[in-house]
Amino acid sequence: MRNTDRLAHNAFFYAIFAPALIIILFLTTYPIGTILRDSFYEYDFIRGTRFFVGFDNYRHIIGEELFQRSFQNTVIFTFAASFLEVFLGVLIAFLLYGEFRGKRAASLVIIFPMIISTMVICAIWQIFYHYEIGLFNYLLGLVGAGPVGWLTDRQMALFSVILVDIWQWTPFAFLIIQAGMGSIPRELFEAARIDGARSSQIAFRITLPILSGQILLVLMLRTLDTFRLFDKVYALTGGGPANSTQTLSFFIYREGFSFFNFGRASAASVITLFFVAFLALFYVRKLLREDD
Amino acid sequence: MRRTCLVLVVLILCAAAVFAGGKREEGVTTLTIAGRDGAFGTAMDLATQEYTRQNPNVRFEILKLSGAELMEQTVIELRGGTGAFDVLLVDDPFLPRIQDAGWLVNLDDLYREQGLEIDPDLVENMVNVGRYPYPSGDLYALPHVGNVALFAYRHDIASRYGYSAIDTWSDVLDIARRIDAEGDDTVPVLFRGVQGNPIVTGFLPIFWAFGADILVDGKPAFDTPEALAAVEFFLELAEYAPAGVTAYQATQVRDALLSGAGAMAIEVWPGWIGDLENPEQSDVVGKVSIAAHPGQVKGSSSMIGAWMVGIPRDSRNIDAAFDFIQYLTSAPVQEMMADKTGIPPTRHSVHHIPRLQEKYPWYPAQLAGQISGSVRPRTDYWPQIETVFGDYLQRALVGEVSAQEALQQIQRRVTEVLR
Amino acid sequence: MYRFRFYLQRALFWIALVAFLVIIVAPIYWMVITSLKNPREVISPIPTLFPHAPTLQNYGNVFSAGIWRNFYNTVVVAVSSTATAIVLAFLASYALVRFRFPLKINRLFLIWVLVVRILPPIVLAVPLFTVFNQVRLINTLAGLIIAFQIYTLPYSIWIIYGFLKSLPLEFEEAAMIDGASPGRILICIVAPLVRTGVIATSIFSLILAWNEFLFALLFVRTPRLLTLPVVISRYIGEYSTQWGELMAIGLMASLPILIFSNLVYRQLTQGFSMSLK
Repeated sequence: MRNTDRLAHNAFFYAIFAPALIIILFLTTYPIGTILRDSFYEYDFIRGTRFFVGFDNYRHIIGEELFQRSFQNTVIFTFAASFLEVFLGVLIAFLLYGEFRGKRAASLVIIFPMIISTMVICAIWQIFYHYEIGLFNYLLGLVGAGPVGWLTDRQMALFSVILVDIWQWTPFAFLIIQAGMGSIPRELFEAARIDGARSSQIAFRITLPILSGQILLVLMLRTLDTFRLFDKVYALTGGGPANSTQTLSFFIYREGFSFFNFGRASAASVITLFFVAFLALFYVRKLLREDD
Repeated sequence: MRRTCLVLVVLILCAAAVFAGGKREEGVTTLTIAGRDGAFGTAMDLATQEYTRQNPNVRFEILKLSGAELMEQTVIELRGGTGAFDVLLVDDPFLPRIQDAGWLVNLDDLYREQGLEIDPDLVENMVNVGRYPYPSGDLYALPHVGNVALFAYRHDIASRYGYSAIDTWSDVLDIARRIDAEGDDTVPVLFRGVQGNPIVTGFLPIFWAFGADILVDGKPAFDTPEALAAVEFFLELAEYAPAGVTAYQATQVRDALLSGAGAMAIEVWPGWIGDLENPEQSDVVGKVSIAAHPGQVKGSSSMIGAWMVGIPRDSRNIDAAFDFIQYLTSAPVQEMMADKTGIPPTRHSVHHIPRLQEKYPWYPAQLAGQISGSVRPRTDYWPQIETVFGDYLQRALVGEVSAQEALQQIQRRVTEVLR
Repeated sequence: MYRFRFYLQRALFWIALVAFLVIIVAPIYWMVITSLKNPREVISPIPTLFPHAPTLQNYGNVFSAGIWRNFYNTVVVAVSSTATAIVLAFLASYALVRFRFPLKINRLFLIWVLVVRILPPIVLAVPLFTVFNQVRLINTLAGLIIAFQIYTLPYSIWIIYGFLKSLPLEFEEAAMIDGASPGRILICIVAPLVRTGVIATSIFSLILAWNEFLFALLFVRTPRLLTLPVVISRYIGEYSTQWGELMAIGLMASLPILIFSNLVYRQLTQGFSMSLK
């Protein structure tokens, strides 16, 4: 009797876990297997010819200046964008803490950027960044500053792309953090205040530690997403000027879909995969710490 | 309760839509066209509607894709052998790559089977673009859009400096200098400066006019004095381009030209500028001349960038598709498409229709370009060459490397790619 | 003195808030006015802050191009893939929280779902196309709904997992002692407790599915089945961008989500209050 109970209990959990597992395996096993295999071949996708080359693809790619540059740009973009987004998200959430008139409207306006399609966003920012007739250079002109080559200056272009990402995704960080702050019981703050704590002390000693779970989760999700950066580069700079906005995704896309060199594209994907899996592992360990 | 009902309704609607695939009617052939967006797409709509009116049992599904998307989708579907496409638009430099894999139907065979001849009214040089190997192999695609790169300039501005026509690139530089010296608001020179394909196609007319070439006997030829002179001239001319030119794509060039902000554009394609003489879209009606490119040490040689139309071998409707692509390239249809959407025809007769010549004053130049123009090198590695070329050209443009260094690097890397 | 500080704080608060809002609103304002301009004014070298001759023609053009069908497809795909993701994620996360599978599957699975998100989608698209083609899911909305799980499912699993983990065991234990079956407990006890979290997750999932572009482009070819993001991208041509129409359709496409967010805003802020702690 007890044994069958136990079995039924186990079966129940296997049953409810199965659908998600099946979908995920269906969507990932074959693609990831293919990518791993192809990365060891010289594989011209159009002709369909395949030669085994061992680790040659990896060796060549890692030695390439363009790949190194793409890697470096991607890492800069990922860290700058995800950290700034979370930082600003926390800042805005603190700003909007407490009740005031128009809070709901303000919150809705703040989440608007992440609802708009990325392509439309890039189109608008492209107009803003336009060297000759763009809004930013017009405003700079008003205060007497020289025009800036937002998308055309090698030092500036990556930063400009980061800015667009921050504009679009800070709302995401804001929302999760705001929700997290709502969960902190007010009594906690009042007690602290009675004990004579200053606002800054409350923020750093009480609020932030409680929010660390949310902050970490947002950081992780944004890190993974920014690492794939492609559409903004494609729409805004095409990887230029002089490769200063090349990213890994762009590199992979070019190898795969301009050159149809699927072996190299796969090898570059695998390198990306390992690096990011390493990053993800760092976050996951922290997030799941309480499990073990 | 109300909420539950609402949820139920939404779910049922979803279920209904999710499983509704494409329905098939008896006796009706549906041709799927993998085509382009923008004016090309509109033109295709018009042509297919007319065709369906004449042949009610043929319907169409048209995919309207950007150039890059079309290439991705073509490769994925044709490689997968899905037989989903019946008619395929192909950008001319991509044609050898596709035919290398043998994906298209041999049109010469179809012509022979049906006892037909290729209409000599189609510009022969453009038909040859559809041959593999170029220019004398078998025919795999017909010329659908007769794009040739042209040169655009404001003749009102040019005549101010005493030029009634622009013959050489030195003239261009001279006018640019004088516009600049006058402190006019007009930007002297426009071109596409974005890395990769845009900057290369923008530069090639100059490259060729200076007597340089990309491949000579299948070997890269970037380390020649001609190439160096061309790049150095390009950098000199670029001084008079907008400071943000490295972010200029076709949209920015076109907008600047149509709004009157720019005086000369090194490279325009007829497909971009159909609205040039349309007062609702353009501020420069009657002020812009579109002509063949200036020469320099060599006469001008226009660059062909045609869009070809072919039939994938896996198509299940080859005969119907063949009939349609002949219709699509016929004179009345080309005339109608040119008239309504501005896409350039590929036939002698359509270029000579006075009404169209009035609307698109550049037709003589366009036809001349089609008859004598040259194509980009036919090699499987063109995308790689273009990428390397574009990268270093742009680096030279932003001053990261000198013209000499850029060309040395291009030569070295292209040699590597071809090896 | 105290009063002065109070007013100063208020003033700083409003200045900061307004500054953030201006930065956020400026591009949106630009969208609105551009959607009201005629084509010549849009490309004018001196940009105008108000449309000189406001016109609704851009909206008219977008509608006459027949976007209703695409709109409907988008709703169907976004809603279905969100619903699928939420249900599957809820079930799976519950299993992961309350049951220890052998071989460290719990942790492996949570990491594995993230790995999928890392790869550039285009890399996954090619092999997935082969698989989908074999099971005849290409060119169907059902195929899109399944493909979108690559984005929506990991997301939902991670967030809902956080919510469930913070749930105290007592309720379930009490129900178990009363003799309720595990299925009943899941539906009648656990689900209501994390309702708000689920709603919040569904909003994010909906936004992701609503704007997904690449799979929507590659896996569907019949124009009748296209979703809005693909239609929007048609207004950005290589040769010319139809700025006015682009902004008009961009605005209209984002309205449904905005309205939906407004409706569930209260749940949204409450929803996250229980997550991960």
